[in-house]
Amino acid sequence: MSLMDALPTPRLRWEGRRPNGVLLSLSVVMLAAFWSLDAVSVAPNRIVAGTGYGALEAFGWPGVLLATLLLSAIGLFAWQPSTQHYRALLASLMALMALMPVGLIASSYLLIDPDLPQARLGLGAAYWVILFLLLLCLIEIRLRLKLSRLWPTLLLTAVALIWWLCAALWLDSLALVQEFRARDAQFVRAVGQHITLVSIAVSISVVVGMLLAMLMRRYSRLQKGAFALLNFLQTIPSLALFGLLLGPLAWLAAKVPFLAQLGVSGIGTAPALIALIAYSLLPMVRNTYIALEEVSPATLDAAKGMGMRSGQRFWQVRLPLALPVLLEGVRITTVQAIGLTAVAALIGAGGLGTFIFQGLGQAAMDMVLLGALPILMLALVVDAGLGALAEALRPGGIQ
Amino acid sequence: MSNSLSAAPSRKQAPLWLWPLLWGALLLISVVAMAAAEPLFRWIEPDARQVIYARADFYVLLGRHLLVVGVAAVVTIVVGVLAGVLVTRQRGRDFLPLVGQLASLGQTFPPVAVLALAVPALGFGTLPIIVALVLYGLLPIVRNTLTGLQGVDSDIKTAAHAMGMTPIQILRQVELPLAAPVILAGVRTSVTINIATAALGATVGASNLGDPIIAGIVNGNMAYVVQGALTIALLALSVDSLFEILQRQLRSRLSS
Repeated sequence: MSLMDALPTPRLRWEGRRPNGVLLSLSVVMLAAFWSLDAVSVAPNRIVAGTGYGALEAFGWPGVLLATLLLSAIGLFAWQPSTQHYRALLASLMALMALMPVGLIASSYLLIDPDLPQARLGLGAAYWVILFLLLLCLIEIRLRLKLSRLWPTLLLTAVALIWWLCAALWLDSLALVQEFRARDAQFVRAVGQHITLVSIAVSISVVVGMLLAMLMRRYSRLQKGAFALLNFLQTIPSLALFGLLLGPLAWLAAKVPFLAQLGVSGIGTAPALIALIAYSLLPMVRNTYIALEEVSPATLDAAKGMGMRSGQRFWQVRLPLALPVLLEGVRITTVQAIGLTAVAALIGAGGLGTFIFQGLGQAAMDMVLLGALPILMLALVVDAGLGALAEALRPGGIQ
Repeated sequence: MSNSLSAAPSRKQAPLWLWPLLWGALLLISVVAMAAAEPLFRWIEPDARQVIYARADFYVLLGRHLLVVGVAAVVTIVVGVLAGVLVTRQRGRDFLPLVGQLASLGQTFPPVAVLALAVPALGFGTLPIIVALVLYGLLPIVRNTLTGLQGVDSDIKTAAHAMGMTPIQILRQVELPLAAPVILAGVRTSVTINIATAALGATVGASNLGDPIIAGIVNGNMAYVVQGALTIALLALSVDSLFEILQRQLRSRLSS
């Protein structure tokens, strides 16, 4: 197989010119979504479901023409892919994403009645579908152009900045912006709580997880039992584990005044942290254990032959070689903890989940979005950041 | 995937049907005769007016839970394996890098966030939780299908081709059977995770075994929480041990 790949056969060269089926079909689907689904919805107030409007009503003829042109351009460039064309694709992709809030501004002028201050503009299905598919296009282009993970992150940050600027200056009628304006201090506090909870839980579980993994390597008897216990913990729904800790901790706080002074109580941070750490331990321990085990024995032998002591071998050979896989564990653990912390809002631990569950309770979907979207973004940012770090720590010398 | 590391060596000596029978029996007992354990729950919650969750029978809740997880599992398996097969064919090969990336990226989306995003689109009830479970459970299956199919030795495929097999025959009689253990491991991970995740459905009005947990948290009644958690954990353990048997039979059939 490898020999076949190395041979510069004419067929391979022809394949390079073949239309990129992925981008082509994505462009077709996006065009279909743009023309058939609701672009925006307008609601008279917070609770009433909005009425949907198609692209034509929302953006007017110029906007529709521009968007159709850019979307078809993706398909056209994908017909004959080359490096230049992929770059052009990237440019039209960025133009589309940057123009999306501009379209919203246009539709807020066209559709919102200035006499109704309560009226709000919601993103329609077409917006979500196209945004999602554009992200898929971005991944595809990144893979074809063989860019590092850093590039799309930078580009998306720039796009996010444009969105934020538009939202802050001109999009007062957007439902998400209104939800945010109504509780901006609360939002900032919730983001802070969320990040604090996740970082405390992850740092504790990194330390405990590494200690546990090292103990497991020393005492193989411990390994079976500990893995069985940690696996069992994962089968308990997060919801239940949070709930189960309420009672004992309330009891402890009532019996031991010292703990109560420390802030331990039935509801709130203490049970959330304990449950988060319990869940985080399995991915952490598993990856640390595998990472430390997988270091090749030949390398360790060589280190021994060079006269390194056992402590030196661990700190200077085994740990650095295990670091990428170990970081992978930290990444999985952190992303999982970001999601679980949202559930912790149910037991009064605060964080962004508060908005989700309050919004669900009030049937206020924009508030649900206000909680869910930042959680999603947080998870993606952490995933990309730690992934890039692990990639950077995996130089040629380490397999 | 998580279980293969620890569970496989430790259960090697146990008789094949012991674990599912044990967990299944415990599940059945807990579902039918939860009320018999009232003194125990009374001890947990001495002051509560009621200690056994009574808004719905446990077997009804179990049935609804199984239904949601089952529907989600069928959809995920069909879609996931189909997607994995399609992108490894000659015609779908263009999509392989993207689907591979998506499969690794998808686990990043927290199920709560997916659920929260599904509710505005689909309304309250059972549908959003099924959608969230499908999206969340799809990725282990796609990932493992890709790994399994790509792990099939290309010499074997060439040999099958040389024997005059059509591509569909190669897929059905060579590739899929050889990849089956890896695919099944993905299905196992997906279903086990989803049994626990389905409890979140109770927060969006889908009644299932998460109901007692939510009711317990809201009313501060630990006994309810224990009952919900216990039943879900037993369900997860029963299903997981069934998968263990399936996997072992598959492995022994392949090696014979």
